[in-house]
Amino acid sequence: MLADIFTPDLFASAIRMATPLALAAIGGTICERSGIVNIALEGMMLFGAFMGVIGTMYTGSPWLGALIAMVSGMGLALVHAFASITLRTDQVVSGTAINILSLGLTGFLMEVIIGHPGTTDPVARLMPVFNINGPTEGVLGSVWRWVDTIVFSYTPIVYLAIIIAVVGQWALFRTRWGLRLRALGEHPRAADTVGISVIRGRYSAVIVSGALGGLAGANLTLEQVGSFTENMTNGRGFIALAANIFGRWTPAGSYLASLLFGFADALQIKLQLFRDVIKIPSQFFLMLPYVLTVIVLAGVVGRAVAPAAVGKPYEKG
Amino acid sequence: MDAKFRKVLALLLVFALVAVFAVGCGGGEEEEPADNGDGVEAPTTDVKAAMVTDVGGLGDKSFNDMSWEGLLRAEQELGVEIRALESNEIADYEPNIDQLANAGYSAIFTVGFLMTDTTTAKAPEYPDVVFGGIDQFFEEPAENQAGLLFKENEAAYLAGVVAGLATLDSGLDDRINDQNVIGFVGGMDIPPVEKFEVGFIAGARSVNPDVEVISLYAGSFDDQAKGKELALSAIDQGADVVFAAAGLTGLGSITACQERGALFIGVDADQYETVPGSGDVMLTSAIKRVDTAVFETVKAVVEGTFVGSENREFGLAEDGVGLAPYHDFDSAVSQDIKDAVEEARQAVLDGTVTVPALRSEL
Repeated sequence: MLADIFTPDLFASAIRMATPLALAAIGGTICERSGIVNIALEGMMLFGAFMGVIGTMYTGSPWLGALIAMVSGMGLALVHAFASITLRTDQVVSGTAINILSLGLTGFLMEVIIGHPGTTDPVARLMPVFNINGPTEGVLGSVWRWVDTIVFSYTPIVYLAIIIAVVGQWALFRTRWGLRLRALGEHPRAADTVGISVIRGRYSAVIVSGALGGLAGANLTLEQVGSFTENMTNGRGFIALAANIFGRWTPAGSYLASLLFGFADALQIKLQLFRDVIKIPSQFFLMLPYVLTVIVLAGVVGRAVAPAAVGKPYEKG
Repeated sequence: MDAKFRKVLALLLVFALVAVFAVGCGGGEEEEPADNGDGVEAPTTDVKAAMVTDVGGLGDKSFNDMSWEGLLRAEQELGVEIRALESNEIADYEPNIDQLANAGYSAIFTVGFLMTDTTTAKAPEYPDVVFGGIDQFFEEPAENQAGLLFKENEAAYLAGVVAGLATLDSGLDDRINDQNVIGFVGGMDIPPVEKFEVGFIAGARSVNPDVEVISLYAGSFDDQAKGKELALSAIDQGADVVFAAAGLTGLGSITACQERGALFIGVDADQYETVPGSGDVMLTSAIKRVDTAVFETVKAVVEGTFVGSENREFGLAEDGVGLAPYHDFDSAVSQDIKDAVEEARQAVLDGTVTVPALRSEL
């Protein structure tokens, strides 16, 4: 039974499913570190997923599609930034509005551009980066099967997400940019007095989170399935928010937390195989990743402290 | 930026959001009656028929679209005015029904098992409106209420016969491996999907008693990425034929089959026709003629022969379910398999085989 559960595909599946969560979670980290709450990640991901497909449809290149997805996420982020930074709207309200807007807008644009609701036709996808012919026989063959599946089987954005997590972690804690960003979220008044522009810094952080949200959407449509379905993000943006908190507002932590959620999801799929053996309804397994989210958010894993000024609009003066 | 300007801007932003929201989410873009173009005067009637979609919405290439097909046919053949309202979430069911009933629609189809309770609650409120509940079993249906159910298990039984024999027949396709394993991907674990699963397993076992069927559930009907992961997992366990009864989630399973080299069996509609570019893996589809059920019900309303207070079941005998053609696999599928399917169909029609509908009956 264990040999059936712990296959190389379990781990590969976990990493694939973690990728959109991780990208959005890192976006959330950067945004919240600057002091802006971003619950609009779900909407940015959905809009990016849609625009990625449309972009690929018109340009013929999934790479350009992914770029368009990021730009689209940035566009929505700009709306959020404008509402919450310049207009000083409640950030949760603005984020919720963007999520609803995104759901409606993608449905509406489906009708306008594709001509029917539901799902788009398939488009070109980003293919796995590596295609190595390793040994297939003997012990070496089975070792290679593990290595190939877990390390070399992924599409570009999956690797990109890992790079973004590492670079983001370094940038947030080892660069001047990171120090300033964190200052904005902890004590914007202090940052302002030493001459850091709070407005500009927060705008750029929100826009970066939009780009990452859009990229997360591109991973779903342009790498995993190759077409867009209405509401296909299915709450992943909210799980990403939880991953950001669980990861204690750090890029690396966000990635690892997403990996845990991805693993829980991959594991529940494998466990479903033994539904007949352990006599538990499938709903129980489907519940696992969400139960994990609730446990994490309830603080069992330790107290997570948010940036001090998060959610508070900054008024100069 | 002064305060006044800011307020005006905020207001404009709100209007922009509301406008898009209203267009995009409000559902129910009214469908213009199609001009049938051939100059033939369509018959007219003052019956107006409408449907409320499940959360999958129109464009699901599955039962919502099939219901719409049935209404389109009613429009063309009976001159009925038709309309569809989309539900984006479960909370939309009630207002959508109210809106249609108040707009004078005399036949309303609520599509999907999840709408059972709402339909039951709303039927007594509008006694002059006929309610047809697709996939809904009513305990005590009112006079203006009929459940329209399908014997999904009978269609899936035939699909199971195909899959059970195909997984043994390495001559059929080089994607068939030497393991005796097939896969099932379900949307939500609800009765119509369970019937698909159970029928599929029963059909496969009837021709291949040792076959292992891997059943996996996604928990949603619109998560393609999850559908793909589930199918990949089944294929990883050795499945070479995957049957998905999962709405849009199943589209991801098609991608998985194409990527990993497995064959696929579609659901509800002939998915060879409705899913572009799926022909290379689409062995057949287990069809559920929701369109027939909708059309027949509208016709009964128009002719004044509608009988409520009942749950109608559409099975193989009523031509309410069936198996799609093999299309690109037609020459690859051996005569033995075709004969076995025909035999199974006859056995179900004769009543010599009763296809189980519940997991406990397997």
